[in-house]
Amino acid sequence: MGRHRLKLLVALAILPLLAFGIHKYYISLTQVEYVQEKASLQIISRYFIDDMEYAMEKEFSQSFQLSTDQELDSIDLYYKKYLAQHIKFQVNDSLYQFNYIGKEYDDDIVYFYLEIPALHNLHSLEIKNTTLFNYFPDQQNIIKTKINNKHTTFYLSKQKDKGLLNF
Amino acid sequence: MKNLATLIIVFLSISLVTGQETTVKKGHYNTSKFRQLKQDLPTPNKQHTASGAPGAEYTQQQVDYVMDITLDDKNQKLYGFEKITYHNNSKDPLTYLWVQLDQNIRESHTKNDEISTRGTRALYSPKQFSDKFLSKGFDGGFKLQEVKDSHGNDLSYKVNWTMMRIDLTEPIAPGATFEFSIKWWYNINNYFIDGGRSGYELFKNDGNKLYIIAQFFPRLAVYNNVEGWQNAQFWGTGEFALEFGDYTVNITTPSDHILNGTGLITNLKELITKKQYNRFLKAQETFDKPVIIVTQEEADKASKGFSSNTKTWTLEAKNVRDFAFSSSRKFIWDGMAVQLDSKKVMAYSLYPKEGNPLWEKYSTNVVANTLKEYSKFTFDYPYLKAISVNAARQGMEYPMICWNYGRPKNKDILSDREKKGMIGVITHEIGHNFFPMIVNSDERKWSWMDEGINTFVQIYALEKFDSQLFPSSKYPKNIVGYMSGNQDNLTPIMTNSEDVKQFGSNAYHKPAAGLFILRETIMGPDLFDYAFKAYANRWKFKHPTPADFFRTMEDASAMDLDWFWRGWFYTTRNNDIGIKDVTSYRLTDKKTKRATDLLKKYGKNIDEIPASLYLVSNKSDDFNSVATDKKPQEIKILKKYLEDNNIALNESVIPNYFYEIVFEKPGGLIMPIIVEYAFEDGTKERLQYPAQIWRKNDKEVTKVFSSSKKVISIVIDPDKQTADVNESNNSWPKQQKSKFDSFKISTIKG
Repeated sequence: MGRHRLKLLVALAILPLLAFGIHKYYISLTQVEYVQEKASLQIISRYFIDDMEYAMEKEFSQSFQLSTDQELDSIDLYYKKYLAQHIKFQVNDSLYQFNYIGKEYDDDIVYFYLEIPALHNLHSLEIKNTTLFNYFPDQQNIIKTKINNKHTTFYLSKQKDKGLLNF
Repeated sequence: MKNLATLIIVFLSISLVTGQETTVKKGHYNTSKFRQLKQDLPTPNKQHTASGAPGAEYTQQQVDYVMDITLDDKNQKLYGFEKITYHNNSKDPLTYLWVQLDQNIRESHTKNDEISTRGTRALYSPKQFSDKFLSKGFDGGFKLQEVKDSHGNDLSYKVNWTMMRIDLTEPIAPGATFEFSIKWWYNINNYFIDGGRSGYELFKNDGNKLYIIAQFFPRLAVYNNVEGWQNAQFWGTGEFALEFGDYTVNITTPSDHILNGTGLITNLKELITKKQYNRFLKAQETFDKPVIIVTQEEADKASKGFSSNTKTWTLEAKNVRDFAFSSSRKFIWDGMAVQLDSKKVMAYSLYPKEGNPLWEKYSTNVVANTLKEYSKFTFDYPYLKAISVNAARQGMEYPMICWNYGRPKNKDILSDREKKGMIGVITHEIGHNFFPMIVNSDERKWSWMDEGINTFVQIYALEKFDSQLFPSSKYPKNIVGYMSGNQDNLTPIMTNSEDVKQFGSNAYHKPAAGLFILRETIMGPDLFDYAFKAYANRWKFKHPTPADFFRTMEDASAMDLDWFWRGWFYTTRNNDIGIKDVTSYRLTDKKTKRATDLLKKYGKNIDEIPASLYLVSNKSDDFNSVATDKKPQEIKILKKYLEDNNIALNESVIPNYFYEIVFEKPGGLIMPIIVEYAFEDGTKERLQYPAQIWRKNDKEVTKVFSSSKKVISIVIDPDKQTADVNESNNSWPKQQKSKFDSFKISTIKG
């Protein structure tokens, strides 16, 4: 009961939009490239650090201080767990777990490097990215794919949180 | 459109009759991206001139207000009586006036609810559910009690949602004034629950409220030379268009409140303790750090009183476009003096203890820095003070006063992120004093003119405040993600505020990034700053339009920027310039096949022409047979020419390597080409080819580069100055390692 109650509160505490005197924008960009000769699906996913921090603090009920001197040494474990919950790759009809290679900070942006290795056949790919949707109603997660020299862009939002590609 | 269709049919039939080939291209209008904007901009006139300045016949109305306001803290109601003096400075008689009733956007279930297309929520709190489906929700909006002329006669009026038309019995003649009054009240919203740019925050631990009060009185709409009445409804995104005028405002609050607002408090001495007043006087003379005027201890004490007595604050402001105020028992107040070039002004902050330790440490210092830096870009801040109020979840600007978020989660650890957010928002909102409070553009129509221009100056003010936290180097590359996005989700900057998609990127960051490129890369700071200052000074205390900005920037710099405005502001195109091909050449005096063939084409034999010099490409078949190891100065005919003409050369810089580079432009925008050539010996040379290089070919252009040293690589835009959305074609030879691979290798090494 206690746990259920906490989750409910978290879900209700949706950040109201800031008044328009200053306006944040809610965009993430995930680039997905299939490198055939390496049989590797390479993913670079970028987010605003403050949005990520807000979402992760709500989800893990603890304080992070991302990209500061006070950041936890074990922060990658939390990132990995958070992303694994929110980014799903369904390849040829089965769910694949990605490897978390690492992260990189650039000013107010964090880049995540993810990889699905040893992927020799790619007939279909479904990408679901619900990162940050729980907290920012206007969040848009853009997915750009480059697979077999074909470029595709998806705009994922709360209403439509996944995109499917067939080859 | 119909005429065009007819025209096409006529032409088609002519071509049929005359039996022309249908494969012949039919021709086209001028599609050059460098064509002038004249057809897109309004025709200049004597009000808004071709130079971008206000003209001899430019007119502007003035509206003065005298108001008595009462804040009922117990019931969260605001009562007002306002006397308005309308000065008709236009050349037109006015038969009616339009007054803005912005609070009406908070009437229950109004039009902006009706146009909301958001689906169901996953879950609702009981209040959210009740407001949405069961009850009328919050009872907001103006309750108008009377509208009377100066003789006390009722005036007829018609409310159309957020606009009210006052019907005049006699027209207001050009140059005449008209006095009338409005009496009203409204319920103040808890903005945590019902949203909004104003309202109150409830502190549950002590029962106090912090009021931020704005758009709180019926305000005259703008009547100007380009719109007539600007009476577009307030749908929530497009902010405000307002006239300048003088204000005298008496505000009655509980006697234990601390209040501040637009203008000077003329009876302050009677309202605060002697001790506090002495600290206030000390602050006026203290330039190095803020002086605490109302301490945390005093605020704590006031927070417990809940006095039923009242006091009345009198504020006076001259030549402002609006009035706002903030009031609470919880306020700590500090201030310091700021020296600008020509005058002294005051920087203040008002904050509850929940804002500390961030606020006492930074807020007033940030206000001071913002006033100084913005003044350098424009004009010395003309008002006497600027106040930053700490209001959770807000970021909103009014003349001399603004609401800014920033409450540290943990008082012992201040994260850089919280610090950045708070310093960023204060700089932005204080900066709005310049755009649009003084350079008074029409926010209802063009959000970018205040948000974009303000966000641009903010870049420099923040970098000046703390270059570690706020490096300007992230501009303009921060806009690449947005500009390379799905075109269906983009709108040009020149789109009405209410119709813009992705508001933050469109109205704030893209115009700011564009002006940053213009200043840093296209015009250079000297030319840009002079023109920008000219715009600010021409239009301070006036109503500029986009054309006035575009025209002034060109008029004051002798730079034709129409191609830039057209691309960056009028389209959703993006920039992608690449290197398509590189061919290297050597100089020789042996006849090449290329030259032989060329002459043959003109019926000449190459042996008949005088001895010449030839460039031979390493890709040509005869490269091995005609290329020499001779340096240019060793080639006989060139040596003789140089000697005969007394041309002395420094041998070390004589070019020996020649390159022909083909640049491609898959992107739709025009940009200068910034190229960095890297040489064998580790040195580099950077060149910038002006945007006009694309005048005659929008797809690809060729350049020749010569050097005494061998070029080993070429990179386009190495410092990411032009928001190039695709860097995969920016290098020669092609970058082999992807960003992903480089990162992966670095983690393995690490």
